[in-house]
Amino acid sequence: MKDLKHLYYLENLLTEANNDLVRQAQEEGRLAVGNVCSLIPEVLLDLPGCFSVRLRAPRTGSMEVGTYYMTSLLCEFCRALVERAMEGGYEFLDCIMAPDACAAMNRAVENMELLKTCNKEKFFITYSDVPMKSDETALKHYVKQMRIRVLEPLNEVYGIDVSDEALRKAVEQHNGVSKLIRELGEYRKEESPRITGYEFHVFCLATYVCPKDLLIPILEDTLKQVKRRRPDEKSPFRARVVLAGSEIDDLDFIKLIEENGAMVVADRHCFGSFPGRDEIKLNDEEDMLTQICRHYMTAGQCPRYMNTDKINERKDYVDQLAKEYKADGIIYEQMKFCDYWGYERMAASYIMEHEYGYPVLSVDRPYVVGTSGQLRTRVQAFVEGLEIKKIHRRQ
Amino acid sequence: MDKIKQIIKVMLIGFAALFLLSWIIYFFNLDMKASVYLKKLMDKVYDMRKRDRRL
Amino acid sequence: MGKKMNSEKLGNFYYGNKTKKRREWRGAADTWYDYTRWLANWKVMAKFMMKPANLKGFFRYRWMGSYLAVPDFVDRHTEGLRGPQLRIAHKEFDFIVEHVCETIGNLFRADPACGGDEEFSRRVVVFDENMMSQIMNGFPNLQMVCREIPVVYTPSTVLQEGVLHYIDVAEEFGLPSDVCPMPAAELGCAIDDDFPQIGICAVNCNTTCDGSLMGNGVEARRFNIPTFQLAVPIRHMQESVQEYGAEEIKNCIKFIEEQTGETFDWDHYFKCMKTFNAETKLFREWLELSKTDYPQIIGNNVALYRDAYYQVGGGRDARFLQNDREITELGYQGYEKKVLCASEVRHRAVLWGVQAQYYTAFPIWLQNCWGILPLIDMLSLTSTSYYSEDDKEQAYLDMADLYMKMNMRNRSNGGYEVGVDDLWRFCEEFRADMVIMYEHIGCKAMAGYHGIFEEQARERGIHLIWVTHGLMDPRKASRKDMRGEVNRYMRAVLQEEPLDPTLEDFADDNNW
Repeated sequence: MKDLKHLYYLENLLTEANNDLVRQAQEEGRLAVGNVCSLIPEVLLDLPGCFSVRLRAPRTGSMEVGTYYMTSLLCEFCRALVERAMEGGYEFLDCIMAPDACAAMNRAVENMELLKTCNKEKFFITYSDVPMKSDETALKHYVKQMRIRVLEPLNEVYGIDVSDEALRKAVEQHNGVSKLIRELGEYRKEESPRITGYEFHVFCLATYVCPKDLLIPILEDTLKQVKRRRPDEKSPFRARVVLAGSEIDDLDFIKLIEENGAMVVADRHCFGSFPGRDEIKLNDEEDMLTQICRHYMTAGQCPRYMNTDKINERKDYVDQLAKEYKADGIIYEQMKFCDYWGYERMAASYIMEHEYGYPVLSVDRPYVVGTSGQLRTRVQAFVEGLEIKKIHRRQ
Repeated sequence: MDKIKQIIKVMLIGFAALFLLSWIIYFFNLDMKASVYLKKLMDKVYDMRKRDRRL
Repeated sequence: MGKKMNSEKLGNFYYGNKTKKRREWRGAADTWYDYTRWLANWKVMAKFMMKPANLKGFFRYRWMGSYLAVPDFVDRHTEGLRGPQLRIAHKEFDFIVEHVCETIGNLFRADPACGGDEEFSRRVVVFDENMMSQIMNGFPNLQMVCREIPVVYTPSTVLQEGVLHYIDVAEEFGLPSDVCPMPAAELGCAIDDDFPQIGICAVNCNTTCDGSLMGNGVEARRFNIPTFQLAVPIRHMQESVQEYGAEEIKNCIKFIEEQTGETFDWDHYFKCMKTFNAETKLFREWLELSKTDYPQIIGNNVALYRDAYYQVGGGRDARFLQNDREITELGYQGYEKKVLCASEVRHRAVLWGVQAQYYTAFPIWLQNCWGILPLIDMLSLTSTSYYSEDDKEQAYLDMADLYMKMNMRNRSNGGYEVGVDDLWRFCEEFRADMVIMYEHIGCKAMAGYHGIFEEQARERGIHLIWVTHGLMDPRKASRKDMRGEVNRYMRAVLQEEPLDPTLEDFADDNNW
């Protein structure tokens, strides 16, 4: 297939946390709000005058300093963030809105705070207590926390407009981007798709780490291109998979999977489009903050949600995606040393295979996958297994 | 009366023997040394039991 | 051999086997005392085993095999002790033995595979292991059973290999080996069909950590009873979360009421909280004693026992209060006589981080080998607030506070103010020159402060000794490895000689 025009530009952009678009937005006077977890509603950080930057540490090599502070027992993603922060990689941030969600990420942000890695005069960090259940009591708490830990500090320190009007504008922007991403993603449903999982991931990832308004023209243009794109006569992929799990901001991971024959047709992971790029539907009856929090709470697929309904919902969700995107199998992945996904991967792999009947590949991975021979082998074996199953089904 | 004395004498000897035995068991840790063998046996019992092993 | 501390060369008792060669001679009075307590414990255990349901349970459940080593467990926690410390240790550990027997007895009574008492089982509310129990203070007609305590928690303290089988089972099913072994063992036990199936309903909680929370969710698949997930706020020091905590408590109470048909009894609740407050008052006195030159209730004599009455007892069992009073009396006696807890006191230490379950006797080794007094440990430094004895609205907030400040969680969660800053505050209060920092390999929460602890300890001139362990899995770091880290520091940095050279290096790898 012909290369997508903006792919190379975005790939380059994604090699830096403080990339061109981030710098452009800051030069325009907007605030860069650091985000470390999907449990802080992203849309609250994209109010007029701000833009959210989901933290990542591209091109991470050594993590020695991060490991000294956090030991080798913790998630590499968190250590990489601390390493990058110590190198000054997040000096551009105006604040970080962190939830106390997973212990490892909380420690990473606390280390950044205690080690004074961001030295702007008005820089601050807040820690929100975010819900672990999805019910009305939790919603009330969530709304309160978002008000006092996110909106009020933005307003008090930086004078950001946090009115319902402003929230509505942020939601409109979010929905605009989400609609474009969804439309792009729909092309993955095709037999011979006009966009690969890797390409899609590049565009989707960019929407998490760059000012969204500056990406909209690129996404619109890309959508037009993809509509006109001529797919390969025969799909280069031998199998179709849903990719579910913990955060993936390393493009090489999806590249590795696709190079070995499995197309990632749906992305149910942090930095992915499900559910992160769901549109937020608003009404005129309830206050905006409550509606936003309700959306993130009910749509959220983080394994941290501990009520039984949510636990079961996560499996149904992946099942639904697999059916909708006609997946042959599911890959469950987790960042090494992630407690949440360690358990979720174990349970979900078992349940999706034994109760839902899907072939499942269950892997853990380092933060930087590179060209991991081990992962390559596992994906290859999985793809071969899927092919054999397809042959048997045809017979 | 003699019979009662006899009974008391036997009881005292019995208690003394029990005390000595328990003291030896206590001091030389014989209860725990015996438990080692019992544990090995019980592990075999537990291994033999059929279990509904699943998630 | 004799009355004085360190008169027995304790390392010589270990000869590479499961048990020690013999028990200690502590002088006539102390040895006689220890002997009578040994008899008493066997009496409790024999009485337990005579009930048919308990005997059935012994043959049914693998974890019951661990309890064969209970006398050894008591011996480990009284090793080298004399006088008031010996008596305090026995007061605590013997009562724990009795209490655990009762708990297991209740489990088996309700278990269809053992006692089959359905009516009793319908009065049982199953609680998560690491949950406070004060909600049950308002349900006098119901029985709370912390299912995982006698099944996983206690076996791992009695026997160092107590739960390895379960950890392995969980890993066979795909659980990564880097997660905390405690929820891993619990999950493995559930997978292996080794939990008694009892109770009318269950309450799970998000204490203590991410791993525990996740493990509960997966375990619950095996238990076919209605379950309420009690979500307790993480940032427990923030005023803004208290209301949510209280709301969740109300929801939990409502759930129990609905499932059991019982109504929350406020009178009984406040009565229990009065007892709990009285226990807290006594605990505060112990802490004050520990700040003096003659601390008495320290190390092992605080750690496990505090867990038991703070969390599991919760004020419902007045025997704990009576026991506490007797312990306090012994403490004051020791203080007045200026009794030392080691033959030579060289260092005063605060123990921070999570202790190794397979080496809960480690503080005693510190005393006996190096004269390091383990004045207090992180798990015992829980809430010392007094709670309301008459205000219902305040009571909801109090219960929420207790749940948030459950052992360990009150430090591993809540921010660096409680996990790091408070450590230095306690070092000052207890006049500690040393911190023994337990580094539990599977604990992400505390490991994340590693570098900060190092730097701040250096700034304050406090000796920080890292002791790595695997919590319930000694294969990751053995007891010997743990001792080795202290030995290296004491020799290389402080250049000291041990009080008992036989304890510096001895063969206990195989020991229970």
